[in-house]
Parts: sequence; C-alpha cells; structure tokens
Amino acid sequence: MIWETWKKGFDTWEQKTAEMMESVLKSPAVLQPMGSMLTATMKMKSATDKAIANWWELMGLPTRRDQERTLHALNQLQSRLIDLEEKLSDLEAKKKN
Amino acid sequence: MELKSLTNLLSLATRPKPQVGSTPADVVWEENKWKLLHYRPRAEGTKYQTPLLLVPSLINRHYVLDLMPGKSFAESMVQRGFDVFCIDWGTPGDEDRFVTFDDVVDRWLGRAIRVASKMVPHEKVHLLGYCMGGTLTAIHGAVHPERIASMITLAAPIRFNDGSLLSRWTNVKGFDVDVLVDTLGTVPWQLLQSAFHMLRPTLTLSKAVSLLDRAWNDEFLDGFLALETWGNDNVSLPGEFYRRYIKALYQEDGLLAGRFSLAGQRVDLKHITFPTLAVSFEHDNIVPGPSAGVLIEAIGSQVKQHLHLPGGHVGAVVSKHAAKTLWPQLEAFYAAHDAPPKTAEPVVDRAVMEAVAQVLPLREVRAPEATTPKAQHPEVREPRDAASMRVDAGTTKAAPGPLREVRAPETKAPNGPKGAEAAKSKLGELRAAPQAAARDGAAPPKTKPSPPRVAGTGSRTAPKAAVVKRLPAKKPAGKPSPRLAR
Repeated sequence: MIWETWKKGFDTWEQKTAEMMESVLKSPAVLQPMGSMLTATMKMKSATDKAIANWWELMGLPTRRDQERTLHALNQLQSRLIDLEEKLSDLEAKKKN
Repeated sequence: MELKSLTNLLSLATRPKPQVGSTPADVVWEENKWKLLHYRPRAEGTKYQTPLLLVPSLINRHYVLDLMPGKSFAESMVQRGFDVFCIDWGTPGDEDRFVTFDDVVDRWLGRAIRVASKMVPHEKVHLLGYCMGGTLTAIHGAVHPERIASMITLAAPIRFNDGSLLSRWTNVKGFDVDVLVDTLGTVPWQLLQSAFHMLRPTLTLSKAVSLLDRAWNDEFLDGFLALETWGNDNVSLPGEFYRRYIKALYQEDGLLAGRFSLAGQRVDLKHITFPTLAVSFEHDNIVPGPSAGVLIEAIGSQVKQHLHLPGGHVGAVVSKHAAKTLWPQLEAFYAAHDAPPKTAEPVVDRAVMEAVAQVLPLREVRAPEATTPKAQHPEVREPRDAASMRVDAGTTKAAPGPLREVRAPETKAPNGPKGAEAAKSKLGELRAAPQAAARDGAAPPKTKPSPPRVAGTGSRTAPKAAVVKRLPAKKPAGKPSPRLAR
C-alpha cells in the first residue's frame, strides 16, 4: 500500500519533470550555447589532430587518415566488383533466356 | 512476492545473460561490414510465396527484431510461414567514415533486396523498415520500386522538421555537422546515445522504479534485461552517411519536399506505388506519430494504410503485447499482398543445385553475447512494462566465423527452367565465395552438401540437419578471387 502510493507520486513527479526538462532542452537559450560548445570542442580536437598528423607525416609515415582512405578504397573496389559480377550474371542469364 | 523480488534483485548481477538474437539464421551475403541474414524456415515449410526483408536502423543492432524467444518478431514471422531475411549493418570501422548515404541505401540495401528476391521466381520481396530503416526503405523504394511487393514502415521518420527534440537539436544555431564529421569521422555511438538519453533524462530513474516494482516476475526480468542489452548496444554511424542524413533530411527536410536525391536520382515519394503500411506510435518521443504517418499522404500507392497505435518507440514493437496486437496485423498485410501460389510444380535442375550447394558458404549466426556494460539509452516512454523499459547491459560480440555451413543455397530454389537458368547464372557469382573463409582462417574442407530441393513438394521446406564444412585456410593457387576481402 505504501509502495503503491509512493509509486503514484513518483510517476507524477517523473511526468512533470520530464515535461519541464523537455521545455528546457527545447529552448534556444540552452541549445545554442550547447551547440556552440560542441562545435568549439570539435574545432579544438581537429586542430590537435592536424598538428599530430603533420608531425607524423614529417617522418614519412602514413597518417591515420591515409590508412582509412586506403581501406575504404579497398572496400569500394570490392563493392564495385560485386556490382560488375551482378551485372554480368544478369546479362548471362538474359542471353541464355 | 517481496521475498522473490529481493532474491531476484540480489542475484541480478549473477543472473544468466538473456539470449538475444537467438533465432537460427545463416549469413547469405556479406559485404564490407554488413551481412544479410536468412532465418531458417519453419520445419513444415513456408506458407507465403514472397520473402520478407527486415531493414533495421543503422544506429542500433538488428536483433531488436529478434530480441528473445517469445519476443522475437523474426521468430514469429518464421513461425507464421514467412521466409525471413534481415540486414545486420554491422559495426563500422574508422575507414567507414567515407561510407555515403548512397552506398548504404542505393548499393547495399539494393543488393540485399536483390539477393533476397532472387530466391523466388517472381523476384520480389516484402520490406519492413524499422525506425531509420523505414526511412531508408522508403527512399530506396521511391527510386527502385521494381523488386518490392509491399512495404511496412515502423516508426520511420519521413517529415523531419516536426518540432521534436531531435529536430530542434539538429537545427540549432551553433551546431555544425560538417565540423563534427570532419573531426570525428565515424560518429561515435556514445554521442548518439547521449542524445537519445537526453530525450527523457528521467527515464533511467523510471526504469529503476519499474524494476523494483516487478522484480518478482522472472519473465519481466528476462525481457527487461534483453531489451536493455539491445538498448545499450549502440553502433557508431559512418560520418558521410551522418552528414547527409542530418543536413539533407533533418536540416533541410528534403524528403517530403522532393529535394532529396539518391545516387543522382531525385527521390519522389509519389513513385512508391506498391502497397504500403505506415505504423506510428502514440508515445513515441523519437519519431512523433505525424512524422511517420505523413508517408501515406506522400506516396502514390493505391493501397496504403496508416496505423496509429498506443505505445512507445520500442515497447510497442517488441513486447508480448505487440506479439498479440501489432504482429498479426503486419502478417495480415503481407498475406494480403503475397504473390499468387505456384500452380505447377517446378522442375529443378539437380546438377545445378548440387553445384551451387558445393560453392555457397553459409555461416551460422550465433546469438550475440552481452558483455561490457555501457550507458543508458532511452527510447520508451509508455507503457512501463518489460518491453518498454531498459537498463544498462552490454555490447554484443560478433559471431565467430570459421565454421561455415553448406547446404542447398536457398530453401526455396528458383523454380522451373527459368529458375534453373537463374541458378546457373548465380553459380558464377557464387563460385569464388568459399574463398571468403580464408580470411577467417578456417580449416581445410570436409564437405557434405545438403540435398537440393527436389520437385514433388508443394512448399519450401526447412533445411535438414546442418552439415558443417570447414573451408580452406588459403585460396587455391592460380585461381584469383573476383572479390576482395570477403
């Protein structure tokens, strides 16, 4: 009985708090600084990453981005080969029909 | 009851992890990180002629649609007689930051549809897109409707500028998606999850209270843990995909306005002319009802329906209640648009089917294991039952790969002379596939192919006892593989 009463009270509190939080999180006054902060953090990280990559490149080593590009190129090649295989098998099937 | 609750709560840490995604399935296609899973048909064979392809969101794991026995949509559809496929988008690596929206929606989704549809003579599939997956299927369907028999979108956003929290956050001044993507590359799941968490910050507390309230119920507890396992098993998003998704859809809201394009082709939702059902949910705080339901007004189908149901984004789709109410409606929709049954018994070219069985590798999919706890992920508001609540749980490990099965390539073989030709043409495509195992370091072969489907049975039947084939660890010398890194 006590639990049930407490739970009802909790549910009401939770509902009201969620609504209040939603209105806060919708407010441009809250969102704009948060968005700007995220962007500023990203810009800082980007500058740091760039500096490290430049230093790494100076030693003649492939950067993280170089490796990512190479791996992606391999994946793209795989996909395009499969595309070609598909087209070829479709053409062969049509020819036989 | 109190004692049981106490015992269950105390033993929560040692409680066996729920078996999520445990419906038996085989990997029938694998490309980059994504896989196409084929759930094994029921023992008595399939009842419907058109396969069903499930397209989940890229942000969460696919097994939300195969949560656990009794609460698995995939399992339910298999038992109802469908031939079910599901896309597992996998976990993007750092190099996948360059994967574009076109790669995913045009190339990969298109491939999955083609692979699944080629299993049947009429070469069409039913689609089911859940959440972001629904948006992707709608976009793909508008550009490539040829192989789609019908489509259901579950809580799929179509109108993005809807005043919801997600819409406001992505449109806020100061948020620069380009800087974010250029810096992070692959957008980390932690960032995405924290955004979902902020949709309803009190949800964690609410779930904890619900757990205390119903801890005596073992069934509730298992469902709760399974859903939390899934909810905390998020996936990072490829950067270029995310950039386009946010800019073109959330910020410009270009899909409804007809300003969105896929692989150079304008996406006009009016080109969707196949039967379509859009399902939205009353208490969905991720995709508000009108954002999902608007699809029906925008498409050109003659047969279309909008179903607005009570419940939250997840609870209404994956729960016991959903199994009794939503799933039968989905089945009825697909059944109404199934292809007509075959009239004549097909003749299968046995030699071709045996040859295909020899070369097609199928990997058994094992249930993911819950491991490290991560963080909270809110998605559900109401009702506060087992299916709608989530707690911290863990990530999943990818299924180990060296064991591959070999059986007839499809439980439903291409039928008739045309089907035999199709199988022959597919043979060339599949011939190099066993070499894929080389990458997994599999052992030398010990092959015993399963028997192909033979004329004389009216319906497709489930494969017999699985035969395990260990594939060669190295590619045969002098026979270059036409596929890279598979």
